[in-house]
Amino acid sequence: MRVHLRFFAVLREQAGARAERTVPAGTTVGALWRELVAERPALGAVKVRFAVNQTYVEPGHRLADGDEVAVFPPVSGGR
Amino acid sequence: MTPAFRITRARLRVDALVRAVGDPRAGAIVTFLGTTRNENVGRRVFRLEYEAYAGMAEAEMRRLAEEAKRRWSLRRVAMAHRIGRVPVGEASVAIAVSSGHRAEAFAACRWLIDRLKEIVPIWKREHFRGGQVWIGPQQGGPPAPRERTRRTRRAARTRRAR
Repeated sequence: MRVHLRFFAVLREQAGARAERTVPAGTTVGALWRELVAERPALGAVKVRFAVNQTYVEPGHRLADGDEVAVFPPVSGGR
Repeated sequence: MTPAFRITRARLRVDALVRAVGDPRAGAIVTFLGTTRNENVGRRVFRLEYEAYAGMAEAEMRRLAEEAKRRWSLRRVAMAHRIGRVPVGEASVAIAVSSGHRAEAFAACRWLIDRLKEIVPIWKREHFRGGQVWIGPQQGGPPAPRERTRRTRRAARTRRAR
């Protein structure tokens, strides 16, 4: 199945803003991320959160065909 | 009519936000503006640059407003975040809350800005004298690779003066 990837902030600078990827059915978002980090170890330096179709998900979330998977560094903060 | 939740490249307009929360049953409207400060953890900042996952950021702001309305007795909520370059002194985020009485609006506004900073997918890059750095949550940000220390800055100034 096919998923659409989106990266932001420092991850966007390392991996580009968007990508497409074919993954086996039942792949979890965490497994997909481990695969991406294995290909580009620099990505692993940042703590990340995931969203699927614009909603936060945990790494164990199973992907469906056509999902938009976003990977974020922590959001901006400030006191 | 200004949408109540939005990500925009334009300057933020408080009057538009205040209009968006106007309600004849409201006895109070509280507004919050977050502005670019000229200093962060000892760095001289000249602008911030914001990036958002726009669709999700607007959806998260809407979800936060719904949660605030469950927690407090509120009339209306509006939130806007600017993206792109925001120079010192200008607002990057604006929130307006209306309620029957002021205590609820103050409390909800405070809670909304705190939660927005924790979960709404927006990132900022700080441009300061000597470098730039992406800022993480609830911190001044990690040292940038190109950041110079106070000592090397002083040394550079001394060299320039000579």
